Amino acid sequence: MKRRAAIKSLFIIAGGIAILPSCSGEAGKASIELSNLDITAVQENLLAEVTETILPKTSSPGAKDLNLHLFVLKMVDDCHSKSDQESFVKGLNSLNSFAKEKFSSEFKELSSAQRIQLLQNLEANEAETDSQRFYGITKRRTIQGFLNSKYVMKDLKQYELIPGKYNGYSAVQKTMEKLG
Amino acid sequence: MSNINIDTIKERTFDAIVIGSGISGGWAAKELTEKGLKTLVLERGKDVKHVVDYPTTNMYPYEFEHRGEVPFAIQESSPIVNRCYAFREDAMHFFVKDNEHPYVQEKPFDWIRGYQVGGKSLLWARQTQRWSDFDFEGPARDGFAVDWPIRYKDIAPWYSYVEKFAGISGNRDGLKELPDGEFLPAYPLNAVEDYFKGVMSKKYTDRHVISARCAHLSQPNPIHIEQGRVQCQNRVLCQRGCPFGGYFSSNASTLPWAQKTGNLTLRPFSVAHSIIYDEQKGKAVGVKVIDTNTKEEIDYFARIIFVNAAALNTNLILLNSKSNRFPNGLGNDTGLLGKYVAFHNYSARISAEYDGLADYKTEGRNPAGGGYIPRFRNLHKQETDFLRGYAAGFSAYRSADRDTSSLGTDLKEQLLNPKLGPWRVGSHMMAETIPKESNYVTLDADKKDEWGIPLLKISVDYDENDAKMKADYVEQMTEMFTQAGFTNIRANTAGQAPGLDIHEMGGVRMGNDPKTSLLNKWNQLHHCRNVFITDGACMTSTSTQNPSLTYMAFAARSVDFAVNELKKNNL
Repeated sequence: MKRRAAIKSLFIIAGGIAILPSCSGEAGKASIELSNLDITAVQENLLAEVTETILPKTSSPGAKDLNLHLFVLKMVDDCHSKSDQESFVKGLNSLNSFAKEKFSSEFKELSSAQRIQLLQNLEANEAETDSQRFYGITKRRTIQGFLNSKYVMKDLKQYELIPGKYNGYSAVQKTMEKLG
Repeated sequence: MSNINIDTIKERTFDAIVIGSGISGGWAAKELTEKGLKTLVLERGKDVKHVVDYPTTNMYPYEFEHRGEVPFAIQESSPIVNRCYAFREDAMHFFVKDNEHPYVQEKPFDWIRGYQVGGKSLLWARQTQRWSDFDFEGPARDGFAVDWPIRYKDIAPWYSYVEKFAGISGNRDGLKELPDGEFLPAYPLNAVEDYFKGVMSKKYTDRHVISARCAHLSQPNPIHIEQGRVQCQNRVLCQRGCPFGGYFSSNASTLPWAQKTGNLTLRPFSVAHSIIYDEQKGKAVGVKVIDTNTKEEIDYFARIIFVNAAALNTNLILLNSKSNRFPNGLGNDTGLLGKYVAFHNYSARISAEYDGLADYKTEGRNPAGGGYIPRFRNLHKQETDFLRGYAAGFSAYRSADRDTSSLGTDLKEQLLNPKLGPWRVGSHMMAETIPKESNYVTLDADKKDEWGIPLLKISVDYDENDAKMKADYVEQMTEMFTQAGFTNIRANTAGQAPGLDIHEMGGVRMGNDPKTSLLNKWNQLHHCRNVFITDGACMTSTSTQNPSLTYMAFAARSVDFAVNELKKNNL
């Protein structure tokens, strides 16, 4: 069991799943093993800021706390087409130039209001650009990673593996319990 | 594996051989071994032991690397199986990937297969309805296929027999078109399903919404506990294999039961090449098997052979069982083998919303899935411009609506405190298709698999009757939904290729006359009387019911007959 525990500690927990860390240990590369995407540590950090803008830390954990940026990378790497992957990387790369164009600084230097404004501009953009595809994928996967995280599913009791029941006439509570 | 190094004929000789360990093969194995016959069960795929070989069964959603999604590379390389609703990250190891076992499609056909001990009984939708005489008398009344050689009274006791052991939940609804069985308590309809049932009973005399009948232990009896199965926990993760044995599968039920008799030998990784026919004895004497790992060819011998390889593979094995006596496949004097294949038409569904009953929601999960509407079209007499009819699923649910348009703290607030959405309802069509000579399977003349067995060539398609029935389903359900005050009614008729219903049937049909059928009323080949076929291949027509329960009943009934015949030295 000691060996298992040791191996387990090598994994990175992203929203509750273990992801294999990068073997290369190469400086400047992404912190997780990816088969299709070529992502640098700088790009990874930028993505982390984007996901944190989408779901920031409040009284509850934010995207960075839950490693949702790594979940996004893992999903884009394994579950998306080559075309999606290309748009994702291009869109990620162009984010800083958008930030400079609009606010004259890099994304990570922006205030949270500016970041939100920038991302909302991307969402509102009507033409399907790489930036828009990047943002669409990132937002969808961040939300998915959050809702399916151990934090939401288990800690907040949103999912029970064995409820052992079915009630087809459950009364709706007038006010729902606030989760966070 | 004690049975790998068998090198003498004696050690390769059994009383009975069952080809296939799925839902019907499992039943044949249970019945044969209980009656004292040393039985060899051949399974082409890997072993799957109950509980121990369900690797994903206790995993939480967040423990899946891709949260349930099938990785893109697998989706791309397996487009056919990827269209199956249950082909997800949690159960994809129980499905055949497209490139593993190719077949030839003369017309598009999504052949969904599960090559492992237990077969598709691990993966099935667990819906279980009896046939009635409205179904068995269909071909004779409406002039298609051939008359079934049995009627409801012949199979009714066997339905009871298998239901008691398998555990079927349902209500005694008292409908002639869907006979009641030996039921465990039903899973009740929810608020909106009940409401719809009420509306239908007021507006129509012949349209019934009942609790779906399913092979789940809503309240186990001692016979189920004896199998090591306990009450269904409403997890609805059935396709992963159930550690509780909450639903019926070969793995949880019939195979361990057969094992306990001491008469079962289970041989996984053993693909049946053909059935060996002895010209002098005038009967089958065994099965030629290829070990899928070593590619070694091994002959096994037995006095009786049950072929339960799943409908189309049963056809393939018989077609490939060529001898001087049967140059066109075992028992195939008529040239009918492989023909009159049919399926269920699942190519339409309807969804809608309901604003009423807003004070209710559902809690937990319903293993039965909701409601079932038995066939009402052309039931008592022909009344439309198409033959036969359809059953329909009906279910209602209410889920959280999350507005994801915002960003930041607003978005988080939305995600963590969702609003309850309106009730949503859905129905899907399960229509009978008419078996035709032009819907057939054959062996490909050239292409072979890696064990030298010819590839199956499938040529099956919809016809005009199917199109008319689909249009009628959409029209009638829309009318019914409208009467119930449902809104935003949307029909999805984009369709799907035959096969994706996973209810392929026929090719070795039953009938009274050896000139127009291959099997008699005991599922026995007319022309090779120690070979029995009790899986979907035997079906003369399809009717609308989910077929597995009928295969189970056929298997138990046929074994009973076969063993009696053996005792009388008639085989």
